[in-house]
Amino acid sequence: MRTNGAALLLRVPSAAWVILLMMTVFTAINSRYLTLDNLVNIVLQNAVLLILSLGATLVILSEGIDLSLGSVLTLSGVTCVLAMKSLMASGASNGLAMAAGVLVGLLTGTLMGLVTGALVSLGNMPSFIASLGMMGVGGALALVLADSTAIYIDNPVFSFIGERLDKSIDGPLLQYLSMPAFIAAAVFGVVWVILYHTPFGRYIIAIGGNESGARLSGINTVSAKWMIYVAAAVLASISGITLAARLEAADSIVGVGWEFDAIAASILGGTSFAKGKGGIGGTVLGVLVIGVTRNGLNVIGVPSLWQPALTGTIIILAIVFEIIHSRWKEGRR
Amino acid sequence: MSLAHVTAKRLAPALERQWLLGAARFIVLICVCVVMTVLTRSDEYGLVFLNLNNLLNIVRNASILIIIGVGQTITLTAKDVDLSVGSVLSLTSVVAAIMLNRYGIPFPVAIFTALLIGALLGLINGLLITQVGLPPFIATYGTLWVLFGFAYLILQGAVIYGFPAGFRVIGNGTLLGIPMPIIVMAAVFGLGYFLLYHTTLGRRFFATGANIETARMSGIKVERVIVLAYVISGFLSALAGLVLIAFTNGAEARIGDRYLLPVMAIVVMGGTSLAGGQGNLLGTLVAALIMAVIHNGMNILAVPAIWQSLVVGLLIIASVLADQWLRRRA
Repeated sequence: MRTNGAALLLRVPSAAWVILLMMTVFTAINSRYLTLDNLVNIVLQNAVLLILSLGATLVILSEGIDLSLGSVLTLSGVTCVLAMKSLMASGASNGLAMAAGVLVGLLTGTLMGLVTGALVSLGNMPSFIASLGMMGVGGALALVLADSTAIYIDNPVFSFIGERLDKSIDGPLLQYLSMPAFIAAAVFGVVWVILYHTPFGRYIIAIGGNESGARLSGINTVSAKWMIYVAAAVLASISGITLAARLEAADSIVGVGWEFDAIAASILGGTSFAKGKGGIGGTVLGVLVIGVTRNGLNVIGVPSLWQPALTGTIIILAIVFEIIHSRWKEGRR
Repeated sequence: MSLAHVTAKRLAPALERQWLLGAARFIVLICVCVVMTVLTRSDEYGLVFLNLNNLLNIVRNASILIIIGVGQTITLTAKDVDLSVGSVLSLTSVVAAIMLNRYGIPFPVAIFTALLIGALLGLINGLLITQVGLPPFIATYGTLWVLFGFAYLILQGAVIYGFPAGFRVIGNGTLLGIPMPIIVMAAVFGLGYFLLYHTTLGRRFFATGANIETARMSGIKVERVIVLAYVISGFLSALAGLVLIAFTNGAEARIGDRYLLPVMAIVVMGGTSLAGGQGNLLGTLVAALIMAVIHNGMNILAVPAIWQSLVVGLLIIASVLADQWLRRRA
């Protein structure tokens, strides 16, 4: 009986235990926590983080790290909204302006990713320092372009991709569905296919497992590594655009610190720097740990002053638990 | 020919290159100074850059960077990295500020407490890395955000102004006409230099960074060495914070934020390799002066602050690329 308990403890991912614990505690403190409305809210609030975290996971799977993702998120939101605004000012329709803005945002991400990826793959720089430099560059560009403020945008077509469906369409149950959740689900599907059903995905995992082995077996590790950073930056720009749509504004510092949440979500989900272990399924759980914590602290009425310190501490403790959990699991094999 | 002779002969070209690299950094410093002197000259005020007060100001600004940079150089020598320096600086200076300003605690006690907290935070970083097994940049990037949260919580979002005169001496005072921050920096640099290049512990930092397995097998307690590197880094970040708030006479929760990128930039620019085992403390000092000259020049030229972080980001990337290019040729 005791061995069964231990086996169950180890078979269920650590993040799931943390989520269960948090939800129990929050529900005990405030019964309003466990309502369908609030759960839908958690999904809406964390769809953007999930998209960003998928990119972080791809990079970590290849034994790298990208600290510039938060900056890319900010910068893409800013360029997207700026492009949209200038087109709307020159008389373009809302739909056309939105399409062009989204395209500009995605291009921004692609460019940032191309530079970071080139530094890491061609330049052979350690990823944390290359991306730290790009974090400075991207953050500064966003501040310069947005003139250090938030740029508001009034485009109903654009706002649609950031809100709950019942805001613009009539129909049953639509208050439980939101565009960010759809986008996150679609992005998750695409990343899943790329990671587990294409050669590129296998290269990512191979590079993380053993880079020189991957190179010797004929994989072009330079171009594969380069593309990993491009993919992560494109995902960051998708999350930046979605966030701008949800907030109906592009803020020049909105993404500061998001890369930490994204990296933490990946690690909480079991992706580790050692030997390409983990995957994007766990990342969903990791994002939920962070989302449930943030939302719960809010719902039970923890003053906002306390929230950064508390959230950070809980995340670090959860990471420590995940590492110990995975070590126990290794030990039993 | 004795073995020592042969080794010396083998090493000679490498040492010469080292010397050239070091000299190159001095040349860059001189070039930057010349460029800034020319760019900032005005008909009305003449050569503003070469004004003695401006030069002292530059060295004083570099002092904060150097104090943190000494810790970071030691950490990188042991092939680790401390991304939490800015937040450690914020948290410890916020604690000291509260003790001095709100509770009127005597300043030696406040200084001691802040330094102790800095060292303890370094200890936590070191334990997260060596005992829990987190990669250094994850552990320290995590503590970066947690510590910022606590600094914010302690200050309740406020800004504190005004500290007792006795405390302000370490930032504002002078000794024989030299500003105190420069004196503190010189002491830290001297001690750091002695520790890194002339003690057994210093050699252990190099050995651990060069090859952790070999170091372990040769009997070095590498975990203890790594933890110690983080304790030093935390302690020095706290010290830098005290000097900074004593000089500016104010503290807020984000006061240390802007130091992470420049500190990484100067250490790497200084020739300390990210690959470990190659700490160059003198390089850190010269690079900090280069950085301070550039910042000072941009300030005189009224370049907006936001462009400055762009320049720092580009400097990090450029110096790592240059470092790698030189190494490949060597």
